[in-house]
Amino acid sequence: MQKEFVILLILWMIGIIGFFALIVRKDVRRGILAFLLFQAVIWFFDMFVFKYGLLYAPVREFPEAHEFPLTIVYFFHPLLFSIFYVYKRLNFNFIYFSIWISSITLFDVVIEHYTDLLEFRSMTWYGLWVYFGFLYYASNICCDWFYKDKSVFQVEKWGT
Amino acid sequence: MTIEAWILLGVYVFTAALLFAIPREKIRLAVVAFLFKQFITFLIGLVVVEWGLLEYPVRLFPSVSRSSFTYEFFAYPLTCAIFNVWYPNNRNLLIQFMYYVAFTTVLTIGEVIIEIYTDLITYIHWEWYISWISICLTFYMTRRFCIWFFAKEHGEIY
Repeated sequence: MQKEFVILLILWMIGIIGFFALIVRKDVRRGILAFLLFQAVIWFFDMFVFKYGLLYAPVREFPEAHEFPLTIVYFFHPLLFSIFYVYKRLNFNFIYFSIWISSITLFDVVIEHYTDLLEFRSMTWYGLWVYFGFLYYASNICCDWFYKDKSVFQVEKWGT
Repeated sequence: MTIEAWILLGVYVFTAALLFAIPREKIRLAVVAFLFKQFITFLIGLVVVEWGLLEYPVRLFPSVSRSSFTYEFFAYPLTCAIFNVWYPNNRNLLIQFMYYVAFTTVLTIGEVIIEIYTDLITYIHWEWYISWISICLTFYMTRRFCIWFFAKEHGEIY
């Protein structure tokens, strides 16, 4: 029990420091939009993932209120996506995408294996890889749509 | 179907119909308001249920979350998007204030009626004015966020 809360605390600290360290000032809005968008997407799809018992979270922040791991769904994965989105090249780069998806799948597998924060039920590691790939791909399209009109959004020019 | 299921369906249909009230040139503003409101309701919605202030006896995804997915994921954020795209930005402060009061009051009255007559929501340690204050406050927070997000660097008038 104790170990899991220390890990959650570390995740929050790494996340907050990571956001401010890795996302430069001119990209803050872009990063926040990517964060919020991914949060909405993962919230929606995780409802089904947990409803149909693909994943399970034995140790949770609010054990009464919800079944999914709040820190990971609400905070950590959206944050990773926002860093991914801010750093990706203009065109969708498949190698960058694959490495990133593999890393976060590995992260979830490690969390699953060594802690009680997450537990695979009928989910497998490759299933998770495909799931994250889908979430990232969908969110990436939505964010690109949001920023496609360069005349409306000139974030790149700001602060330079 | 029970009356609760019909109301949930009605909420989805009605709020989805509100999508057509968003002008084309303000879609991005609506998206930002919608997403930021979700960011607030996601967490607060879970906290109030965890602390036993509110209860949603009939809800979507009952096995996953004890808060109201319909309200917190969809209906309330979308109302907030409408709130922001129709905001009377160039009018005087009294009209802006009344705009807040009108939106907040309509939502609160709706919630109170649903609380009294259905099992969709039950107040435990909660009062209608807490709803009113929290709705008004979150509208204001979202409004400030949207103004910041679309500040002059983006070159768009909200």
